[in-house]
Amino acid sequence: MKNRMRTAAALTALLALVGMSACGRDAGGDTTNAPSQQAVDTGKATGTLTMWAMGTEGDKLPDLVKKFEADNPDVKVEVTAIPWNSAHDKFTAAIAAGTTPDLAMIGTTWMGEFVGLKALDPTPEMIDPSKFFEGAQATTVVQDTSYGVPWYVETRLVFYRTDIAKKAGITEAPTTWEGLHDMAKAMQDKGGSKWGISLQPGQTGSWQTVVPFMWSNGGEIVNKDMTAFTFDDPKNVEALKYYQSFFTDGIANKAPAQGTTEADFASGAAPMFISGPWMMASVETAGGAGFADKYDVALMPKKEISASFVGGSNLGVFKSTENRDAAWKLVDFLTTDTTQVEWFGMSTDLPSVQSAWDDESLKSDAKLAKFGTQLKTAFAPPPVQTWEQVSASFDAQVEKVTKTGTDPGEALKTVQQEATSIGMG
Amino acid sequence: MSAPAITERSPRSRPGHRRNGSEARAGILLAAPFLLLFAVFTLWPVIQSMFMSFTDTRVSDIRSPFSVNFVAFDNYIKALSDPVFRRAALNTGVFVVVGVPLTIAAGLAAALALDKGITRFRGVYRVGFYTPVITSIVAVAVVWRFLLQPDSGLVNTVLGYVGITGPNWLGDTRTSLLSLIAMATWRNFGTGMIIFLAGLQSVPWNLHEAASLDGASSWQRFWNITLPLLRPTMLFVLVTTTIGYLQFFEEPFVMTQGGPLNSTISASMYTYQQFGFGNYGVAGAMAYLTFVVIVVVTIIQFRLTREK
Repeated sequence: MKNRMRTAAALTALLALVGMSACGRDAGGDTTNAPSQQAVDTGKATGTLTMWAMGTEGDKLPDLVKKFEADNPDVKVEVTAIPWNSAHDKFTAAIAAGTTPDLAMIGTTWMGEFVGLKALDPTPEMIDPSKFFEGAQATTVVQDTSYGVPWYVETRLVFYRTDIAKKAGITEAPTTWEGLHDMAKAMQDKGGSKWGISLQPGQTGSWQTVVPFMWSNGGEIVNKDMTAFTFDDPKNVEALKYYQSFFTDGIANKAPAQGTTEADFASGAAPMFISGPWMMASVETAGGAGFADKYDVALMPKKEISASFVGGSNLGVFKSTENRDAAWKLVDFLTTDTTQVEWFGMSTDLPSVQSAWDDESLKSDAKLAKFGTQLKTAFAPPPVQTWEQVSASFDAQVEKVTKTGTDPGEALKTVQQEATSIGMG
Repeated sequence: MSAPAITERSPRSRPGHRRNGSEARAGILLAAPFLLLFAVFTLWPVIQSMFMSFTDTRVSDIRSPFSVNFVAFDNYIKALSDPVFRRAALNTGVFVVVGVPLTIAAGLAAALALDKGITRFRGVYRVGFYTPVITSIVAVAVVWRFLLQPDSGLVNTVLGYVGITGPNWLGDTRTSLLSLIAMATWRNFGTGMIIFLAGLQSVPWNLHEAASLDGASSWQRFWNITLPLLRPTMLFVLVTTTIGYLQFFEEPFVMTQGGPLNSTISASMYTYQQFGFGNYGVAGAMAYLTFVVIVVVTIIQFRLTREK
């Protein structure tokens, strides 16, 4: 009994201590005044480097860095492959504990958060930012400073079945919003398809398809100086209305089963969809031999411009690195056009460096070349620390708009309200 | 060097008292590894998370977890006034109220059948009923998604034979939660079955014999002999199933991601999402709200099923 009381007393004391030491934040917590961009020396890289990379990139990267090691005999690069689904937690834990690697592959939407944690080193001048696609380069910039480089990119195009389009009397890919809508309708009415187009009715990631339509209409989701969200802009409302029309007109399925996009595309049940380059291999597997001739890709339709979403991954060097020069040299090596072409051959990751697209291996594939064209007008969401949460709120409203017919204006007003209360971090 | 010398001598001088003292010290020493691990990996996170739920901790504070502002019950108020969290709480409530009785009934029925009815291949059935419990939820989810597919799924195909057009089970807000309840029941009744089976074996046969000599029907015997004697077993199954269902997470996480239109989002899953967004304070508050509900519900269950 006495013991138990003593434990209780100790616990209370501990809690009180914890409580007392928690008396508030530092007043001037956010003093990221003009980060220093020290120059990187020009000699050969030396020492050891640890690098984290996710998914297939993590598996295949060791082969690529062998060449870097050959060029710089005194350097040793250790690549650690980490699975995508636990990567974000691993990074935040490593940042908190100060055990980050020297450099890493970083998801484009994490940049704002990691910079907010003061974990990343600003990009030195040795790397020319203008060699990358503009939209991809923008994902590395937080408060006017670039923290890393785009490593590989992907963007979204309209996939459509050429054979069904022919049956529906369409020989050329649509270039305007009306054109896309009419084509989907014709696929359904004359092409004999169950649905005209497969679009995501809300839920995780639907913003990646919807927000590009807003950009296409000249809308923006944050204001110029990144101080406030502008979801309820009339141009955005108009774009969401357009997206909704596919569902209200019965052209797109309001409740598609998960993971059936490829099968429905191959069977012709939903002969159009909007997605990224990895879908080419998937639909060709689903469609079997000769399917590659039965479909094509087209640029996103225009309102003011043809806009798409740019994804992919960045490379970043962590502030805590003890081998900063060598780390940036490795980044530089990974983003030269020859390495990027070689990497495309190994991994099919699309180069983020524009000049790499002049290589025959990318230019000769007509479908792939269109991704290269689209990348020039493909954009990423602003590097807002709270983007995951803001986009979840956006996705929830898109779901209401597409499934229950909620007014797009009302829905975006709700997103605006929720995003404002979530803040930018 | 002097300390051991004292202990050497002490048993002789005051045998009884000293022995107790050294025994206690040995006890503490032996328990120390456990106590240390418990304090660091169980107690500390609990205290830290409780502390967090009263502060405005966000992911950006992980490097300096104590320089945050104390906000009293703000996070709790925020959680309770969040319409999605309220929806999640309602879903969880429905899941427990419908799912727990169903699971217990199914478990008890299966146990009775195995105990009395099924005599051949008893082992096969026992394994069969228990397999869903130990199968990976991810594999199970894939199969169930196939079964419940609106156009080509087995469920709707069979319904089609008798002229019923089945709904889009997981895609319709009216049937999505029910589908998950059915799946959870199927997945979890095996645990209850095993425990009930053990409980049934402790029901003395002579009571049944005596009752049947007195002319009691099998239904009366079940109601007046088996069920009362199963009370402790029932309590255990009830409490563990309820606690498990109050925290239900995996089913919506792998099957629906909480959709459509938040119709299947659960309190645990929404808490998880808030952690993912980096809102550690609010997420901590939500977790403690769930914890309080579990404690209260468990106390009520103990009270209600207590021996009279």
